[in-house]
Amino acid sequence: MAMSIVHRATGIANYAGSSLLVLWLAAAAWGAEPLNLVNAIYGSWLGQLVLFGYTWSLIHHMLGGLRHYVWDLIYGLEAGQREALSWANVIASVILTLLVWTIFVWVGN
Amino acid sequence: MREQILSKAAIANPKTKYGDAKASTRHFLLQRLSGISNVLFLGFLIFIVTRLAGEDRAEMVEVIGNAWIGLPFAVLLVIVTLHMRNGMRDILEDYFAGRTYSLYMTLNTMWTLAIAVIGVFSILKLVFWG
Repeated sequence: MAMSIVHRATGIANYAGSSLLVLWLAAAAWGAEPLNLVNAIYGSWLGQLVLFGYTWSLIHHMLGGLRHYVWDLIYGLEAGQREALSWANVIASVILTLLVWTIFVWVGN
Repeated sequence: MREQILSKAAIANPKTKYGDAKASTRHFLLQRLSGISNVLFLGFLIFIVTRLAGEDRAEMVEVIGNAWIGLPFAVLLVIVTLHMRNGMRDILEDYFAGRTYSLYMTLNTMWTLAIAVIGVFSILKLVFWG
């Protein structure tokens, strides 16, 4: 129940977040000046916070979506299994998000 | 698509026919197929963003301007916008009906179309014109 709402909420967040990607791509296509501006905004602490949230939202929505394929194959529908899948989804999404940021952002740079 | 607000009785009765069977099946399939494609998109996205975050134009052109990266990424981005429009339709159908629904659906189409067009043109610019 709650996870259905989270799937919807992360879907909306991703819907809005896609404009961040397109803004960055458009700035790069436009020229050096706009790109520097976008980089400065995205590189600020607020920008990084939003991008961290966006990463989690994308990963959580992906795992929630993959869960639908499991259900489509008539697995994991029983009481107990659904709750287990929900918790697995939350925990895995947090771990994967931290992994991506640890490997590529905090250690990589 | 959704013309009137459905009563609980209409939903509970399995014999009432509401909604468009063909369009709804197409909606379901598109969402599942684009969802698989989006897993690939997320892989591309994480690679591209973590590789290029904060880098200058020359570096962006080198990575996204590589046709083997830029062109698949552009195609995947278009599929993402279809998934976005489809998903937002699910939400709009739950809360709106009639003309209000149509209006929001038009905005939804325009927004996702804008994301697709601006995204693809920007990537093509980097690939073909640097």
